[in-house]
Amino acid sequence: MRALTWTGVNQLSVEDVPEPQLLNDHDVILKITRTTTCGSDLHLLSGYIPFMRAGDVIGHEFMGEVVEVGSGVRNRRVGDRVVVASFVSCGNCWYCRNELYSLCDNSNPNPGITEGLWGQAIGGCLGYSHAVGGYAGSHAEYMRVPFADVGSFVVPDGVPDDRALFASDAASTAFTGVDLGGVQPGDTVAVWGAGAVGQMAARISALVGAEQVVVIDRLPERLEQARTHAGADVIDYSSTDVAAELRERTGGRGPDVCIEAVGMEAHSPGPQGVYDQVKQQLRLQTDRTSAVREAIMACRKGGSVFTLGVFAAMVDKFPLGAVMNKGLTLRGAQVHGPRYIPRLLEWMESGELVTEHLATHVMPLEEAPRGYELFKEKQDGCVRAVFLPHG
Amino acid sequence: MDLDQLISRATGLTTGAGAALLGRLQSVRLPGVGTASAKDDPATAARRWRAVTVLAAPDRLADLPSPLAALGDRVETRVRPAPGDKGTELAARFRGPATDDDLGRLRQALRETKQLVEVGEVLRMDPRPHGERADTPGGRLLDGAVAASRKEGLL
Ligand SMILES: NC(=O)c1ccc[n+]([C@@H]2O[C@H](COP(=O)([O-])OP(=O)(O)OC[C@H]3O[C@@H](n4cnc5c(N)ncnc54)[C@H](O)[C@@H]3O)[C@@H](O)[C@H]2O)c1
Ligand SMILES: [Zn+2]
Ligand SMILES: [Zn+2]
Repeated sequence: MRALTWTGVNQLSVEDVPEPQLLNDHDVILKITRTTTCGSDLHLLSGYIPFMRAGDVIGHEFMGEVVEVGSGVRNRRVGDRVVVASFVSCGNCWYCRNELYSLCDNSNPNPGITEGLWGQAIGGCLGYSHAVGGYAGSHAEYMRVPFADVGSFVVPDGVPDDRALFASDAASTAFTGVDLGGVQPGDTVAVWGAGAVGQMAARISALVGAEQVVVIDRLPERLEQARTHAGADVIDYSSTDVAAELRERTGGRGPDVCIEAVGMEAHSPGPQGVYDQVKQQLRLQTDRTSAVREAIMACRKGGSVFTLGVFAAMVDKFPLGAVMNKGLTLRGAQVHGPRYIPRLLEWMESGELVTEHLATHVMPLEEAPRGYELFKEKQDGCVRAVFLPHG
Repeated sequence: MDLDQLISRATGLTTGAGAALLGRLQSVRLPGVGTASAKDDPATAARRWRAVTVLAAPDRLADLPSPLAALGDRVETRVRPAPGDKGTELAARFRGPATDDDLGRLRQALRETKQLVEVGEVLRMDPRPHGERADTPGGRLLDGAVAASRKEGLL
């Protein structure tokens, strides 16, 4: 079959690879109908997550049709149209039973790597490096989905593909941040990053009752989408003092909840950005954190800051004093997909959550390298490139 | 040890180096970043109880599960309830001296035991679809780290 593989830093290619097989009783094989780029892939592409092997099939936000079912699978049938959580979860460990699905104890077959990096191993993620399992990803014609009863969800007939697709990762990630960040009715929420994750965080904040939502980015077309589709106020950080603007808009308090959806390659103008980039390239720090810093400084006293953006290891110039003295709650997580996907599909069916506008570029899988180029360089208004492995 | 130093040293470019790199990841000291505590000497480390918490009642672990049983009498085990309804703590250690290889087998056995009890099977990964595996120094290093990762880690 054809699949998109990582072949080296900033290199991708579409190649012939063997088809996947059922390996465990709880697996299904999926025929992939839609699969899309995620900001997290950019960190892999640029080599900031150094656990990629040439030939690895990437991709973790996707949907498809079940074509084969393992003997231990109870709730999936051949022909089901499903959307699948990007992280793999066994459903039976203490973390899964407590709905902390991305922390699953049994889904990462390479626990030695992240135990060494972080003190404990997290769960496995599909198509996202050997540090989180080395699973083949979704940018392919077919894919093995382990623990399919836990991670796959039948899409209601009324939900079109280009909507359901984003329940897989972008919207469920956003929901993770909104929920565990503690957004309450009446809150003011600020979201850094107007990619698919940030836009979904803004919309879901409004759905759970936030009264005021502000989205921060520098790309005008993305800010426009956040305004139109999420009903958010927007700030262009390249021309505005974000903290001052947020103070002015919140009666001097600052936002109740700050959600960071930018990640380890955060861009920042001026000397801070140069400093971070140089240190990252010299490997003195592994991550650039300008958006997290700004969120911590802007957040109201006693408020909460949630990092959805992916960070790999060590950061520098971290305002711990502000976290401690302002009594902030700082939290982060990888996406707990199965906890949120059912609710997202309901909102998608009722029309309260629409995502079709995120799929700015839809193309055959053969053109995936070009799709990633557009997505990485944010060219031509690209928010997500969606690939169709079967045309 | 400095991370860069470690990486450049391990770039002896074999899969063996990858396994070694992973084995030492837990003792990495970044410049200016460390922990205050002392580190175990290898003999103390080898004697520590290594434990996983299994979400199941203790009686599910009454008969020594097969991955651990395979290590025979050299290993002693301890089973006790975990506080806060978190299941059962299963700990094991070698009665006598143990090599790094022994400890690796013990880690893998504990992880597999937990999976067998909690989900009924051990996750299999191969064969999996992949493209051309170019033979590069970095690739060899990673292959070594991945091959060792079921046996490595802090457990
Ligand atoms: N936690 C999870 O499980 C999970 C899941 C999916 C994605 N993510 C992460 O979420 C982040 C966003 O994902 P995405 O797909 O929306 O990515 P994306 O690349 O499409 O969007 C990132 C946005 O951040 C903006 N940005 C850059 N620097 C900024 C700054 N200093 N302040 C404000 N905005 C800034 C960029 O202009 C861009 O629009 C990534 O780090 C990704 O890895 C995490
Ligand atoms: Zn993602
Ligand atoms: Zn689990």
